[in-house]
Amino acid sequence: MQLSLTEARLPLRVRLFPNKEWVLLIVIVAEVVVYGITGTNFATLGNAFEITRLSVEIGLLALALTPVIVSGGIDLSIGSMMGLSAVAFGYFWRDAGLPIPVAIVFTLMIGMAGGALNAVFITRFKFPPLIVTLGTLSLYRGIAEGVTGGVQHYSGFPAGFLHLGQGYIGGHVPTQLVVLALVALWSAWSLHRTGAGRALYAIGHSAEGARYAGIPVARRLATVYVLSGAAASLAALVYVAHLGQAKSDAGTGYELMAITAVVLGGASIFGGRGTILGTLLGLFSIVLLQNGLRLTGQPAELSGILVGVLLIGTILVDVFTQHAATRAAPSPTATEQPDVRNSQVAVLSAVILLGALIVAASNWVLVNSLRHDLRGGPSMTAASPGATATHRTLIAMMPKAKGDPYFISAHKGADSAAAALGVDLLWDGPTDLDAAKQNEVVEAWITRGVNAIAVSVENREAISTVLRKARERGIKVVTWDADAEANARDFFVNQATPEGIGNTLTDEAARIMGGSGELAIITASLSAANQNEWITFIKLRLAAKYPRITLVAIQPSDGDRDRAFAETQTVLKVHPKVKVVMAIAAPAVPGAAEAVKQSGRKDVKVTGLSLPNMCRPYIKSGEIESIVLWNTMDLGALTVRVAQALASGELGAGASTLDAGRMGSFQVVGSEVRLGLPFIFNRTNIDRFNF
Amino acid sequence: MSALLSRMSRRHAREAPPTAALGIVLIAMGVVAPSFFSAGNLRDLALNNVAVMIVALGMTLVVLTGEIDISVGSQFAVCSVAAGMLAKAGVPIMLVPVFVLALGVLMGALNGLLIGMLGLPSIIVTLAMMVAWRDTLRWTTDGAWIQDLPANFQWFGMSPEAAQLMIMAVGVALATSGAWALRHLALGRRVYAVGADAEAARLAGIDPRMVKFGVFATTGMLVSIGAMLNAVRFSTVPSNAGIGFELQAVAAVVVGGTAITGGRGTILGTVIGVALLGAIGTALTYVGIGPFWVKAIQGLIILAALGGDALFTRLARRAHLPARAVVAH
Repeated sequence: MQLSLTEARLPLRVRLFPNKEWVLLIVIVAEVVVYGITGTNFATLGNAFEITRLSVEIGLLALALTPVIVSGGIDLSIGSMMGLSAVAFGYFWRDAGLPIPVAIVFTLMIGMAGGALNAVFITRFKFPPLIVTLGTLSLYRGIAEGVTGGVQHYSGFPAGFLHLGQGYIGGHVPTQLVVLALVALWSAWSLHRTGAGRALYAIGHSAEGARYAGIPVARRLATVYVLSGAAASLAALVYVAHLGQAKSDAGTGYELMAITAVVLGGASIFGGRGTILGTLLGLFSIVLLQNGLRLTGQPAELSGILVGVLLIGTILVDVFTQHAATRAAPSPTATEQPDVRNSQVAVLSAVILLGALIVAASNWVLVNSLRHDLRGGPSMTAASPGATATHRTLIAMMPKAKGDPYFISAHKGADSAAAALGVDLLWDGPTDLDAAKQNEVVEAWITRGVNAIAVSVENREAISTVLRKARERGIKVVTWDADAEANARDFFVNQATPEGIGNTLTDEAARIMGGSGELAIITASLSAANQNEWITFIKLRLAAKYPRITLVAIQPSDGDRDRAFAETQTVLKVHPKVKVVMAIAAPAVPGAAEAVKQSGRKDVKVTGLSLPNMCRPYIKSGEIESIVLWNTMDLGALTVRVAQALASGELGAGASTLDAGRMGSFQVVGSEVRLGLPFIFNRTNIDRFNF
Repeated sequence: MSALLSRMSRRHAREAPPTAALGIVLIAMGVVAPSFFSAGNLRDLALNNVAVMIVALGMTLVVLTGEIDISVGSQFAVCSVAAGMLAKAGVPIMLVPVFVLALGVLMGALNGLLIGMLGLPSIIVTLAMMVAWRDTLRWTTDGAWIQDLPANFQWFGMSPEAAQLMIMAVGVALATSGAWALRHLALGRRVYAVGADAEAARLAGIDPRMVKFGVFATTGMLVSIGAMLNAVRFSTVPSNAGIGFELQAVAAVVVGGTAITGGRGTILGTVIGVALLGAIGTALTYVGIGPFWVKAIQGLIILAALGGDALFTRLARRAHLPARAVVAH
């Protein structure tokens, strides 16, 4: 009675934000003000809704994770469960032929079953949640990869289902936002307003104490983990509807983003503290930051650094205000807490100073880029045929992965072409292969209002809807390197068809092998769409033309040079008769070559798809016989030229050639601009190329 | 003799489940694919896993104090790239490890400051560091590899055989000296004391904050050694090294029988854990099972290790031995 009286007298600030979530509110307001002024079309209603659309999947995970963390646990398996659920949903709908609603119910049951497995280990066997879910993180993703063989994916879902992830309600509100809002309201009510929800706080403070107080600890905890599995399945459904495709890699790494949102929102990782409102604030402060960086054209890598500083900053504020509180009103526990020492204050100041420096640095970058825009603007227009006097053409170009050396070289070519043509180039995209991120970036570009968008497509079904939306808004759309659906873009800059690549690679390998023997392939990741398509054509070509060549192994490298190295070593030992190792991911070729070199085997040659600079030493020393590729710098440059010609109206439907200045003229077939045939780099010509 | 055996078995009971699992895998390989045990394969396996093992040594210390460090993968990448950049900038190859080591200790010490001195939760601090270091690296390198390194970068300019021997020797030396120090030095005992009960340790005159600070700084140093030894096996440095290292290291530590709540576990267990998880992928290739199931099998091994641990604890209780007394103390 006494307690409830004092609680009622607490100021609103404390009741609403028990864990100082108001700090986040300040951060959010600051972000809105800064980006509203500096960003293009940041502070618009449309952008507000787009931002929330992108945060739904992570938001659902974060909402489910909040009660888990409040109860003192953690669930790392939710991202993997998304992958498993996506694949399961595709299976139920397509292979088992179930109607969509039934498939949805079954998928949610898979999620609950996965959550139940976690719950059994945690509540029945009393294992630490961190370790249990670390194991199931591996297990669930592994099952998803195992049953699909990494290759299989599901698409072609009916429009009614896709509406869940791509449609609008009432013309403005993204459908999945309603799902998020409903789940948020329900979680807030059940966590803060029901006995079972309040019990979680007691369990988080002290499970043993909660048990003595008559709370069924095991049952409450089990419920929480089952619900978190179900929420992961729900997030997977939204994800599939959003991208139009179900694959085993759905939700990779999402668990860490969800944890970040929850912890930023004031939940204590030790349990007993945390609110749904805080989680939502944490979520939006991260999403706003990423979107704002994009619309102001600052490097997206800053977001990781700033989120890190924000995370540590918020818990520091928390720790120190608590220290202050305990000193002001000494309680029995206060004596056990070490006092704040001068050294600690010094450390705190240093950390704050570091944070301030980073923020200052980011502003410096921002100011510099603005100055560059202002200065570079008028002077260059004379040289640019396409730009109007007041407004330079802005071309936004996206690679599949920014860190990939293949795309880094394309970026170089694109940059020089943009400078020569007098257009502005915006280069942004996912850091690693990530179809959902590609959509996010395109959405930001539409909001920002660029003149042309050029995308190297990671996932055909996933990106086409958003590209069509860009075209509706009058933005010219080009695809390069990998195509989207034909009606989603104006032109496709085609460097080579998957069939052409597969055939060239196979013919080259067969030439080296003399038409017979054993061949091994080192691919990227097992679920990489491009590589799997090439492998299909390689197999077809082998069957049709080279019956005496046997493909003995296909091993993954995950785009990691060291992994390719280790896999090649094993392949060479298990299949000692292998004559050629064909590596079909850029970093895998030098990895495989180093393995051959260190094995001392002179009778094994490496070929594959990679970049000249990376492979040069090995081509010269003889481990790599040849690599197949096109001139990636030219590809980047040609893409910028096509985008610029489209934006200026120079290139339209029905054209048959395109003049690209220094690079010469290119053939246009239908809506495809052809770069030319794949090129074979070997010892004789490698020195003519530098990319 | 039997007394000695029973003492041995009691002392190392926590390592029994992973040792048994490793034994089963090795016996199965001996029957199905004896060529798995060729000298070449064993050498390659050792070299490919030595970096993970060294990182896992640090992770063992961290977990023993009841904390966790998920920033090791990003630290690993920063150290690798730093090694390449320094060598390329003309720093003599024998001085490069000194700088890289200092960088590793600095990064570890930053974790240690925030976690040990300020008492912030380690999972949050290292999560923040993991993201921040990785993105800093992406920002500065723009994803580009460090290429055209001086010729003496690979193998420190030694012959490959000598350098390989040295890399393995460093790995063995670190593991044995770590195991010895944890068991026989006061410093090592403090790690257990803090992990078992920080408050009791404090009352006994140990400063838990200093111990935690030291453990994280040591981990940073070990990470930099691992990164250095791994980098010199090649002639270029990719900028995306060490992705997923944190999970590999934590998994190896846990599979090796170290309690995630702290205070219990050994270096020997961790080494066995690394061997088990590292050998399984290669073993599957030898047997001819596709790579698609590797992740699922590794997940099962982690869960099985937990199951074995629970079974052991239950048996120990039945035998009226308090679980803690059975540990390798």
